[in-house]
Order: sequence, then structure tokens, then C-alpha cells
Amino acid sequence: MPKPDFGFSFAPNRALELSVPLLPEVQAVLEAEPSIRACMACGQCAAVCTAGVFTPLAFYRLVLQLWAGEVEVVGQRAQHCMLCGKCQMTCPRGVNIRNALLLMAALLPPKP
Amino acid sequence: MRSSEYINKDEVAIIGGGPAGMQTALVLSARGFSVRIYEQKEQLGGHLKGWHHLFPHGVAASDLLGALKEQVLARAIPLHLGQTVDHLQKVGEGWELWQGETVVGRAGVVVLANGFALFDARRKEEYGYGLYPSVLTSADLEAVFRKERPWPFGPDCAAPQIGFVHCVGSRDLKCGSPHCSKLCCVTAVKQAMAVKAFFPEAQVYCFYMDLRMHGLEYEELYRKAQVDYGVRFIRGRLSEAAPGQGKRLHVKAEDTLQGRPLHLQLDMLVLMSGMVPTFVLEQQERAVFFKEPVFGSGFVPVQGFLAAGSVVQQKGLFASGACKGPATLPEVFADAAAVACEVEQYLKSLKAVAHA
Ligand SMILES: Cc1cc2nc3c(=O)[nH]c(=O)nc-3n(C[C@H](O)[C@H](O)[C@H](O)COP(=O)(O)OP(=O)(O)OC[C@H]3O[C@@H](n4cnc5c(N)ncnc54)[C@H](O)[C@@H]3O)c2cc1C
Ligand code: SF4
Ligand code: SF4
Ligand code: SF4
Repeated sequence: MPKPDFGFSFAPNRALELSVPLLPEVQAVLEAEPSIRACMACGQCAAVCTAGVFTPLAFYRLVLQLWAGEVEVVGQRAQHCMLCGKCQMTCPRGVNIRNALLLMAALLPPKP
Repeated sequence: MRSSEYINKDEVAIIGGGPAGMQTALVLSARGFSVRIYEQKEQLGGHLKGWHHLFPHGVAASDLLGALKEQVLARAIPLHLGQTVDHLQKVGEGWELWQGETVVGRAGVVVLANGFALFDARRKEEYGYGLYPSVLTSADLEAVFRKERPWPFGPDCAAPQIGFVHCVGSRDLKCGSPHCSKLCCVTAVKQAMAVKAFFPEAQVYCFYMDLRMHGLEYEELYRKAQVDYGVRFIRGRLSEAAPGQGKRLHVKAEDTLQGRPLHLQLDMLVLMSGMVPTFVLEQQERAVFFKEPVFGSGFVPVQGFLAAGSVVQQKGLFASGACKGPATLPEVFADAAAVACEVEQYLKSLKAVAHA
């Protein structure tokens, strides 16, 4: 039987909930690489990133998603990094991006 | 042995004949003090003499400079042009001003008004300044407006594509300049509108990280640029400029709001070079040397909160204007008046001690 159409549907809540504490795994990444906090989302890292042209990797976005607790997306997207280090050479805030990406990539459970 | 009598304690020497130096001299002179200006160039004016029109109202830079110079002349303030002071020597309570091996002046009080230098955009190699003729700095573009240099594209190009890059050599630890130069955002807006006025068909893009419209009517100017002039503001950084089609430049950037890389062909790329120190002070017990800045050098350090003009650790040495950090002209003029007041207080305090 087809579902009745009431003219609306439910979607998950998209709002960011800042009142809840950061996830422990997010906190662990920030503690292990405190320079992540210096990121101002300028996008210079993504502007120079070759991997980002063909994949959804954009380091500054992973930082924003990390703060939002989206650890799975962060973990998946970090896999696209080639660790070339171009981003780190140009970052105006001196973020240790490669180490941050290694920590982010480790947010995904290891493949069985 | 030279005694302190050798120096006229009431005399004030001002190092730098830019807006800050001229205004400090004018206020002190109006208050009855004897002042002299030492300027390394053959003309007064500092950076102001290279600008075309001023934000936010578009006043002609030459009008403002003309008015300042006229007042300096009217007050018959002695000018020592073509003299680069490179160090100061303390004698008694006062100072000797040195250029190389010779003393060029003496004074009870010295006011540094040596201004700022423009960040050397060649250091951001990826933007190709000095390599590609269509990459200019904001200062070069002022020279174009002043008809002192040509547009970098031909007259056949009626609808040029033009990009402005904010924060070049500012807010960048890799360049040793962590500070924000504060007025390049509004300068970019001013210049983007001027370019559109020259070439109504032009498409102008500003690549910014944050837009800092801190001053009176700057925000209004920004809105005007968007609505009336059609300037497009893109929040993102350029990764590089390279040769493109024909004489054009190919630039790559990240649009951080879209979250996607972008490519663009441009006829002119303008780098908003930041403001950096002209020299660093090397303070010794009885001397102050002006040295070439090195990586990470800061501006002239001053002390105090209300009294922000006296140089740290040096009695009788003050600093005025953009040598203390990025400042707009209205800020420079207000600061110059405040510094003049501090100098007056200082000279009065010396007299009170002498009479006690
Ligand atoms: C691209 C650009 C556009 C700008 N446009 C505007 C605008 O539209 N409106 C606005 O309000 N502000 C504008 N500004 C800011 C303005 O230029 C500054 O506020 C102003 O020039 C600062 O004045 P100053 O006297 O402190 O320094 P300067 O203008 O740098 O003058 C310093 C003077 O000291 C001299 N000097 C330096 N060292 C020595 C020495 N050792 N011995 C003797 N002399 C020395 C120099 O030759 C110079 O003449 C702009 C700045 C830039 C970079
Ligand atoms: S370049 Fe550095 S400061 Fe800029 S977005 Fe990337 S990590 Fe953040
Ligand atoms: S290190 Fe990774 S994120 Fe950085 S530029 Fe290279 S591929 Fe991109
Ligand atoms: S004023 Fe604007 S362009 Fe200049 S350094 Fe600050 S943020 Fe960058």
C-alpha cells in the first residue's frame, strides 16, 4: 500500500548543537594536535591541494566538520590525502596539517 | 666634552616628513614649540604622494598633501630634506641626530615619524609579482590611476577581468607578519570601484579571508561596491597565478563558501601588499640605531595605554603615525595631535624639575 501523502515529510534536524560537549575522540585529536585550533578557515590549504580537485578532501572543511562532531565523514575524507605537505608549506597560521590529517584518518575504525 | 648646554632642550626634531611628521610638527609649532623636520627624500609627503584618491570619500590625495605642505610652509618649519637619520646619540637629556659619520641635528626631543614600508610582494613567489607584468601591487595601481604607469592590458580590452588578492604579506606567519594591515580591505574596495569607473564593462573579483571594514563609512563603501559597482567578493585564497590564454593570467583558488576549487582567467591581478616596518630600533644605553628589519621584525614599540607615543625605555623619544603599526590618515592625524600633547607634557615636566 502506498504511503499517504500529507504534503510534508520529516527530515533529520540539521542544526548544530553547541551545548553538548565535544565528543571524546574529537577532543583527543585537538589535544594531540593543538595547532588545529589556529585554523581560520581561509582555504589556502585547499587552494593548493591536488587531491582536493578530484575528491571531497578540503582540510579546512574537515576542521569545521571535526568541531561539528562529524567524525565519520572526517575520517573518510582524510583518507584521500597523499601527505604531500603542500598545504602545510603555505598555511598562514602554521597549522601542522599533515599530523592533523593522520589523526583524522585514524578516526575511522581499521578495516577488518 | 660636550655638555648638555650644547643642545637646545626645547627643540623638537621630527624624523620623517610624511603625514604623521608634518601633522606632529604643525601641532607642536602651533603650540609655540620650535620644530624641525628631517626627511630622507627630496620632498615631503611620504606614501601620500604616491596615492591618487582616498577612501572613504574619494578626496584627491594631492589636495590633502597640498594643504599640509602649505601649512608647513606658512609656519616656516625648517626642513632638512634628503637627510636619512640612521642613529641617535644621547647627549645629556637630549639627542644628536646622525647620518653615517656626521651629526645632522640636535634636539631635546626626537619624534620618530618614519612610517611604514610596503611588503615586498616578490616574496609571495606563487603570485608571480615581478615575473608577470599584469601582476601589480596596490601601490602600483595607484600609480596607474595617477597616469604614472600604463594599464597592464591593451586598449582593445574593453571588458577586462580583474582580481584583487587581500592579505598579501599580512596575517601570514610564513612571511613573518602575523598582524593585519587593517586598511588594505577598504583600499581594495576603493580600487575595485575605481577600476569599474574606468572600465564599466570590467568584471572585478576580490579574494578575501575576512573583510575588515572597521572605519567610519567603510561598510557603506563595501555595500556600494557590491550593489552599484557589481564587484564580486569571493571568500577564499589564491594558490597561484600562471600564464594563461594569450596575455592573460590563469589563477587557481579555493572558494571556501562553495567548498570548491575555482579557476579564472584574468587581465590584471592586484596584490594588496601589507604594511611592514621601515626599520627596527636597536636600543643601547645612550644610543638608538635604526636597523634594516629582518624576518618577523615588529613596529616601533611604545609604552602605556593612554600615553601611547613614548618609545619603550627611552626618555625624550616619541613615535607618531604608522611607524607604530598600520594606520589610516585620519588615525595618523589624531595620533599626531596626541603625541604632540605628550611631547608638550614632557617638556613642561623637565622645566618644572629645573625650577624646583
Ligand atoms: C596602498 C595604500 C593606500 C592607502 N590609501 C589610503 C587612503 O585612501 N586613505 C587613508 O586614510 N590612508 C590610506 N593609506 C594609509 C596612509 O598611506 C598612511 O596612513 C600614511 O601614509 C602614514 O603616514 P606616516 O607619515 O606615518 O608614514 P609614511 O607615509 O610612510 O611617511 C614616512 C616618511 O618618513 C620618511 N623616513 C623614513 N625613514 C626615515 C629616516 N630614517 N630619516 C628621514 N626620513 C625617513 C619617509 O621617506 C617618509 O616620507 C594607504 C596605504 C596604502 C599602503
Ligand atoms: S591554510 Fe591553515 S589556516 Fe588556512 S584554512 Fe588551511 S589549515 Fe586553516
Ligand atoms: S598533504 Fe594532503 S591535504 Fe595537504 S596538500 Fe597534500 S594531499 Fe592535500
Ligand atoms: S585589512 Fe583586510 S586585506 Fe588587509 S591584512 Fe587585514 S584582513 Fe587582510
